[in-house]
Amino acid sequence: MARRALFYVGLALLLLAVLFPLYWVVVTSFKTTRDAFAIPPVWLFSPTLDNYRTVFANRGFLSAFANSFIVSILSSALAVAVGSVAAYGLAQQPAELRRAREKFILSLRIAPALLFVIPMYYLATRIGALNKHWLLIAAYAFVNVPFAISLLITFFDDIPKELRDAARVDGAREFSIFWHVYLPAARGGIIATLILCVLFTWNEFFVALVLTGRDTQTLPVSITSFLTFQGIQWGALTAAATLIMLPMIVLGVLVQGQVVRGMTLGSVKG
Amino acid sequence: MRPAAAASDPTKHFFQPIIVCLTVASVALTLFVIWISLHDLSLMRAGREKFVGLDNYIRFLGDPRAMAALWRTVLFTVLATVIEIALGLAVVLFLDRDFAMKRLVRTLLLVPIIMTPVVVGLTWRFLFDPATGMANYLLSLGGIDQVDWLGSPRIALFSVLVADIWQWTPFVILLVMAALESAPTDPLNAARVDGAREWQVTWYVLLPMLRRALAIVALIRAIDSIKAFDLFYIMTRGGPALSTETLNYYGYIVAFTNFDISYALAIAIILTVFTNVALLTMYSVLFPKTGDR
Repeated sequence: MARRALFYVGLALLLLAVLFPLYWVVVTSFKTTRDAFAIPPVWLFSPTLDNYRTVFANRGFLSAFANSFIVSILSSALAVAVGSVAAYGLAQQPAELRRAREKFILSLRIAPALLFVIPMYYLATRIGALNKHWLLIAAYAFVNVPFAISLLITFFDDIPKELRDAARVDGAREFSIFWHVYLPAARGGIIATLILCVLFTWNEFFVALVLTGRDTQTLPVSITSFLTFQGIQWGALTAAATLIMLPMIVLGVLVQGQVVRGMTLGSVKG
Repeated sequence: MRPAAAASDPTKHFFQPIIVCLTVASVALTLFVIWISLHDLSLMRAGREKFVGLDNYIRFLGDPRAMAALWRTVLFTVLATVIEIALGLAVVLFLDRDFAMKRLVRTLLLVPIIMTPVVVGLTWRFLFDPATGMANYLLSLGGIDQVDWLGSPRIALFSVLVADIWQWTPFVILLVMAALESAPTDPLNAARVDGAREWQVTWYVLLPMLRRALAIVALIRAIDSIKAFDLFYIMTRGGPALSTETLNYYGYIVAFTNFDISYALAIAIILTVFTNVALLTMYSVLFPKTGDR
């Protein structure tokens, strides 16, 4: 009995360590400036929405929200569309050829972003594309395609080969097998891949920092503006932070079984 | 039992165009990057680049700031990877039993992983605030002196490390947990029947079964730690006194503060080569030839 109690104490400490920082930020976003900086900290307080009003009055933040939304949806949709076609082809190959291709796709992930962001930046300044949405969408699609391919292969592999063989016996062409058999059968996996791409793109900072201009700033870049103007406005900052991460936490929980699988590219199935 | 028509296998057309595109793009990019790194291209003096051979690479070797950044990258990567794996494994072994809210705990552990890294950086900067932060408040409750978490050159790197550990240990936990659950339980029970003590079962039976999962997660964490950028940018900007500047961050500064594109790409190439060498070494240690891969 004592051991059991000890276990639950340990579990509570673990959850406290994991969740407290998040809790503290969200709670601070509902505090007045005076409460936010009170020492000792104020645990009970009357909540205010002032910080959220400040954030929503900030035009830069609203347009960043729109930019993040457009860029992550479009680049992810593009990556999943291209990736699912390629993954279907790869999933039908003999194991040896596949492994070589997969290794190549994985190797694309190891290179630091600096390596391709600098030449992209250089070329973009030359052709005046720095402040254009398509540049960012193209950059993220380029990053997401290898990821989408490797993850989708693992979902297509889960589909029994008999389905494809049966369709072929019926005289179906490859494309119609892909379209009418594989896509519906892997629907859950495709949606999960799309959500994971959106999640990565939404959260991504480095590429966005370099390749966005005034009109294309995404949320992670835009939030840093709260850091530099007249010191740090922690109230507005925590409200903005809450708004940025909330949609992703909802999406992440929706596909929770696939997150680990996605981040290990299927080498460990969650 | 596929017919021998592999030569005209239509499934090839599904992936070849994309693989060719990716190959062409990465080869072109690589050549362009190498070309730039052999010149002295700067955005400050556009159109006046000239061939300088290996000067940028030689400059790297004689650049104390770059060398310090490289060493710091190694330190950060080793510490982050080792601590996250050890801590994650400990938690997995601790949680390895049936309890009421296991599913809920798993969902909650997901939260740091999917949190926007910039927000993680802001969160910890907030907690580490010297005057009003939670960290110093907790210390003051214990009667310990205030610490300047992000302002002291000797401590700042470890404060960033704390944030990294907070965000990524749950990832290790979830991944190893998944591996543990798909592992067969027969060997464990057999060992217990044979009279092995619980720690012996863990050490001699359970851990060897988890080796592959641990190796994979160690590789992933090492790759990501070498490239870590967001936390450093948000929490310290490489400071104070350059004490948290990693090689990746230094490359960013050289490229986008000094606009010295060529030298920055030389740094990026060195970082890539370095990463690959480190990974191959790790890979051959973690997956020996006779191994299970």
